[in-house]
Amino acid sequence: MHAALIQFIVIPVVKIAVILGVVLLVVAYLTFAERKILAYMQVRLGPNRVGPKGWLQPIADGLKLFVKEDLIPAKAEKAVFLLAPAMIMIPALLAFSVIPFAPATKLFGLLPKAIPPYVTDINIALLFVLGISSIGVYGIILGGWSSNNKFSLMGGLRSAAQMVSYEVPMGFAIIAVLLMARSLSLVQIVKAQQAAHLWFFVPGILALGIYFICGVAETNRNPFDLPEAESELVAGFHTEYSGMKFAFFFLAEYTNMLVVSSLATIMFFGGWLRPFPNVAWLSFLGVVPPVIWFAVKVAGFIFVYMWFRGTFPRYRFDQLMQVGWKWLIPLSLANLVIVGAGVLLVKG
Amino acid sequence: MGGPLEPLFDVEEMELSFGPQHPSTHGVLRVMLKLDGEKIMDAKPIIGYLHRGTEKLFETEPFPQCIPHTDRLDYVASATNNQGFVVTMEKLLGITIPPRAAYIRMILAELGRISSHLVWLATHAIDLGAITPFFYNFREREEILDLFEAYCGARLTLNTMRIGGVPFELPDGWVDRCSDFIDRFPAHVDEYEQLLTENRIWKRRTVGVGVISAEEAIEMGLTGPPLRGSGVKWDIRKVFPYDHYDEIDFEIPVGTNGDTYDRYLVRLQEMRQSARIVRQCLDKLPDGPVIAKVPKVLRAPEGMVYASVEAPKGELGYFIVTTPKGTKPYRCHVRPPSFINLQALPEMVQGLLVADLVAVIGTLDIVLGEIDR
Amino acid sequence: MAVAQFFSKLIPTDLFAGLRVTGGYFFKKKETVQFPEQRKEPADRFRGLFGYDVNRCIDCHLCARACPINIIFIRDHAEYEEIDGKKKKKLIVDRYDIDVKRCMFCGLCQEACPTEPKSIWLTTKTYEGANYERNETLYFTKERLMSWDGIRAYPGVVPPDHGHAPGNPTGAKTGGGEAA
Repeated sequence: MHAALIQFIVIPVVKIAVILGVVLLVVAYLTFAERKILAYMQVRLGPNRVGPKGWLQPIADGLKLFVKEDLIPAKAEKAVFLLAPAMIMIPALLAFSVIPFAPATKLFGLLPKAIPPYVTDINIALLFVLGISSIGVYGIILGGWSSNNKFSLMGGLRSAAQMVSYEVPMGFAIIAVLLMARSLSLVQIVKAQQAAHLWFFVPGILALGIYFICGVAETNRNPFDLPEAESELVAGFHTEYSGMKFAFFFLAEYTNMLVVSSLATIMFFGGWLRPFPNVAWLSFLGVVPPVIWFAVKVAGFIFVYMWFRGTFPRYRFDQLMQVGWKWLIPLSLANLVIVGAGVLLVKG
Repeated sequence: MGGPLEPLFDVEEMELSFGPQHPSTHGVLRVMLKLDGEKIMDAKPIIGYLHRGTEKLFETEPFPQCIPHTDRLDYVASATNNQGFVVTMEKLLGITIPPRAAYIRMILAELGRISSHLVWLATHAIDLGAITPFFYNFREREEILDLFEAYCGARLTLNTMRIGGVPFELPDGWVDRCSDFIDRFPAHVDEYEQLLTENRIWKRRTVGVGVISAEEAIEMGLTGPPLRGSGVKWDIRKVFPYDHYDEIDFEIPVGTNGDTYDRYLVRLQEMRQSARIVRQCLDKLPDGPVIAKVPKVLRAPEGMVYASVEAPKGELGYFIVTTPKGTKPYRCHVRPPSFINLQALPEMVQGLLVADLVAVIGTLDIVLGEIDR
Repeated sequence: MAVAQFFSKLIPTDLFAGLRVTGGYFFKKKETVQFPEQRKEPADRFRGLFGYDVNRCIDCHLCARACPINIIFIRDHAEYEEIDGKKKKKLIVDRYDIDVKRCMFCGLCQEACPTEPKSIWLTTKTYEGANYERNETLYFTKERLMSWDGIRAYPGVVPPDHGHAPGNPTGAKTGGGEAA
């Protein structure tokens, strides 16, 4: 009874609390990282006034948004308007329940037995993440519709179309990984890469490209940031939102970036594995804890996200659809055939 | 598709008031849109939110004091506004300006053109989602503004030309500073081109968007890059040379298709040509006085005069009517290029998407200070 | 040909060119001027806040007449004094007001000023005139024009009543006479 209590309630609750806290903190600092990275690419310094070198900026932003007046437009659909920010934030955070950051660990001998640091490892984790993240789009659509603002509505509509068309090639890209890993469990995918002595980005380079482009589109980031295209739709679906509700939309975007980057790391870059996990003379790299390797890889993807934002113009709505349907879907199908044939040849 | 289908539902056009408070209407332009989904069925620009009665103000000011007011027409390129007014007044009064004054004017006007085009590129790119060129452009613009500041003390509203010449001699070291900048500048333009010119997203957003044919452009009275982008070689600096532009060797870049991408290329080329003009002016800079002998109180003969200069946005003309021995204009009409270029907007955006409206407003390079006057 | 085109579309070299520019700038020196701590020194001709010297002013009203928006108000009266047995008329400036909040800093008043050195000038390098009460603090009488009461002068610049003259904003003694 006692053991069960610990195993099924205490440990998961602690893990959830820690992961939630870390994720929210990381997300807050992602906003800071984005502002800094963009600034550095744009020959300026970025925020550097709040706290030492500006490191307290996200906290100040959070406080500011928290105490700001929370406006609800008079003609808004109030219930939906209130629901929408939660509908985008909760699924984004839920995805982290299955993302394995590191293998089971004793925490340097502090724990009696090895405990996996992730919340859970379900055998359909990948499907779970895809499903859960698709719910997020409802938040955008409903938020855009309920604001009763034409710009918001157009943002919401764009988002709906965008999400629908980019889920498809994303799914195909992921199937390529599944063919190689033969499992939907994220932990098993990492272990498969360890066993194969090969990170999957080598055979799945095309899949990685497609997955990442779709990921950028799914998270509404430049060059696919149409739902909130500032110069066209003012602020898109969150034009009418203010205060903490706006912060939810804002943070959800970064959380989703983190999810996409984490998945990319797990599926294509060996998750928590160190580089060349099977090369003996590189074993000194094992000194670095696996979670750091994971974080470094994710950070690399996040950097690419911000690099894109700093460089590219924005696609037009119809062109976005063209890229999705005319290029990414055929390419991802072709990729599926190639990878499938490869898997057949290698594994027989 | 076949014939027109009976719609299943009631279909309504959505009316959208785009502006006057909108991030990409370049000030206070308001466009009333009729939308079918995101497709623009009709666009009607509404202006007047920045009206200050400048033309009426001219009637109350002695001629030399009109010049600071011209600064505020096209406030991103005030040197050419000054130039337009003083060129017109000199034509009316029959004043010949010293060559050194003319060369300094050309340098200032071309620097102003570069800075205006930099602002255009910065805002145009940011409208289309590329935020970074903005900062690179403003970095170079900053240097130009510093040059202006060193010459006349102001950065934006220069008030730097006088009837009969220019008010100041160039400060020490200014020529070296300017030529240093001008030598570095083309490399910076290369950088912008690397970011945008071949970029497939940029091309998709601009090629074939907002097309206007040469005939239509002439019919509507477009001038400047919107006209040259359609392939018409028309530049006041060449066809009616003022100051000493006839002594300078430069080319008029023209486009072929008359779309947003061609206008983008034309303006980039114009920046390079302007740098070339400044380079030549600095090399040829003659000695001598910077202002002709002009009476303290200017009394104009009775008459009417029209003269125009090539402003960064197009032909900027002043039409001045004077009374006998008048010290003030009886009437002064400004032909602002942005105002006339703006009338092409409804034609150009017909049937395009909302995102293209932003691109077209950007490519017309309008300044509301000039439109509303 | 078509195949080559297809693959050139697949490998976006055009996009990489842009990424290289922004990525390169990531490591370059930044342009930001950290304003309150670092300041760009305004140019010598920078048109800043007014300097005015009532002692040099000959009360000719040319500045007021040159002002395009008529924001210089002068009130004066004549005093007659006897010098060497001759009655001489002397103009005394009672009020010399500038409505600075409306000023557009065109510098025409400075150009019009006939005294040498100028009795009204803008080359003060001072530009921090923001205030909460624009009608009170940005309306300058002749005393305030000289003392710059309520204006933050550019570091090193002294108000006219502390010896600031055109072309010499720090008020340092330069040996010979003040140069315009």
